[in-house]
Amino acid sequence: MPLSNKSISILVVMAALIALPWWAGDLYKLHLAALICTYWVLIGGLNLVVGYCGQLSIGHVGLLAIGAYCFAILAGTHGLHPGLAIAASGALCALCGLLLGLPSLRLPGFYFAMATLAFALIVTEITLAQGNLTGGGVGLSVPGLPAPFDTPQGTYWLILAIAALVTWLTWNVARHTWGRGLVAVRDSAVTAQAVGVPVFRAKLTVFVFSGFTAGVAGALFAVLQSYITPDTFVFELGLFFFVCIIIGGRGHILGPAIGTIVLTALPEMVAPLAKLGNFFYGLLLLAVVLLVPEGIGRVFEILIERLRPRRGESHVVKPDLDRLARAIENGRSIL
Amino acid sequence: MSLAARDITKRFGGLTALSQVSLELKPGEVHGLIGPNGSGKTTLLNLLSGYYRPDGGKIALDESEISGATVQRRANLGIARTFQKPRLLPTLSVLDNAMLGGWRDARAGFFATAFSLPQVKADERALRSRAEELLHGVGLSHAIGRRANLLEHAEQRFLEIARGLAQRPRFILLDEPAGGLTAAEIEHLGAVIRVMRESGVGVLLVEHHTDFVFRISDRVTTLDVGAVIKHGTPDEVKRDPEVIRVYLGA
Repeated sequence: MPLSNKSISILVVMAALIALPWWAGDLYKLHLAALICTYWVLIGGLNLVVGYCGQLSIGHVGLLAIGAYCFAILAGTHGLHPGLAIAASGALCALCGLLLGLPSLRLPGFYFAMATLAFALIVTEITLAQGNLTGGGVGLSVPGLPAPFDTPQGTYWLILAIAALVTWLTWNVARHTWGRGLVAVRDSAVTAQAVGVPVFRAKLTVFVFSGFTAGVAGALFAVLQSYITPDTFVFELGLFFFVCIIIGGRGHILGPAIGTIVLTALPEMVAPLAKLGNFFYGLLLLAVVLLVPEGIGRVFEILIERLRPRRGESHVVKPDLDRLARAIENGRSIL
Repeated sequence: MSLAARDITKRFGGLTALSQVSLELKPGEVHGLIGPNGSGKTTLLNLLSGYYRPDGGKIALDESEISGATVQRRANLGIARTFQKPRLLPTLSVLDNAMLGGWRDARAGFFATAFSLPQVKADERALRSRAEELLHGVGLSHAIGRRANLLEHAEQRFLEIARGLAQRPRFILLDEPAGGLTAAEIEHLGAVIRVMRESGVGVLLVEHHTDFVFRISDRVTTLDVGAVIKHGTPDEVKRDPEVIRVYLGA
């Protein structure tokens, strides 16, 4: 079977990512790559909520924290198998997503964002208050993964595989009827209703899905950190997830993925930027919003459109009535 | 078999937008709805498609009441509509916009979609070919892959009609579809509406171009300040002194 350019580039990128432990050079870079993949597990799911469905959640760091503590408590304190603990973290956060989404997803944009912000703040307070469960301000140490994932390489490959899976799942959602329905909810709720999209249920479904991926990401994040305290889950982290998607571009998958990589790696790789801290994120956000408000993803699209030869741009509408009649009658013959 | 408004009253605060209005839309007919600005045409269309709830009277589909049904429920029952100002998804392609109309026929749920099960691919193929045929049919062959925000006004109007037809409607409600079209484009629109009628779709045509409405409609209802002043064949309505006085003039 001949491969398209697209599948070849996907294969090349995947091969490069799998081989990363051999070309990354040092373990720190490998850790950074694993961290990026972990963030992407969360951001990939969140992308359906923010980028496709247009629901501005800035509180996913709360779900990340719940997933991380759930993993640390189940796998550490109770000695549950880490694999099961990861799944349990995802399930718990999907449930939290459901409970948070049920009342808040009916709110208009700004108020929904505030509700998710409040949620993230509440989670921090609870982790501090429930000291006998979470270790309070002292925190919890997190057990590692069992063999063969107990080496830095093994952990990286596992996280990479999960990140690839999340990418595949969200890509499938985005390019089929569900993706079009979500974009309709984002861009014109009236249109979404008119074609039959159950607006609230669609929002809630992707929000629960994003809760699941945030929970899994939380577990993986805890493993990478090996020790977690409430300070690990600062509110800026929630804003960072959101900004990755806005910079990457709404309604794209590749854009937010690049956004995640750039925003995580740049401050780490370029020392002067690290000193700037949040200032760097703010500057980048400002630049993107002012220069390419549709994000990095749109820049790629525009480049591709430029490369493609333009045929004469006709705008003349000329109906083909026989074909129209056949198409309508075919539709009406379906029961 | 009909989509009907029976003695509908609709108030907005102290304003009575419609009072005791009745209208029956039958399959395979074009029903024109005309009247001066603010006479309640679009309000009636919003009541039929479910965006508003009536304060009195009922909306019935095939004699069963649907006054309380959501817009989505009515879409699934086969009622489609277009908007006065076309409401498209600007970042999606023309084809994707038309395929959005096939939502009710995509049977795969979220998880089946996420895992790309065979049902999803089958749905997608069927929807794609239906949407492509409709786009060729309404005259948008040249624009199928284009982003919807690059369309000109007339193209947007025809794309909305294609999206509505992709819903496989029994009834389609067109809100001023000729608005902003050139004479030639209005001719095309008329031809498209006739094809819908011949295929058995009931078409409600809310329009200001009265000559167009009289030329194409089987029956015409005229509204003025929220009440029906005349209902009948185009010829009857055209000659009615009251219609001439409040709307047609001279």
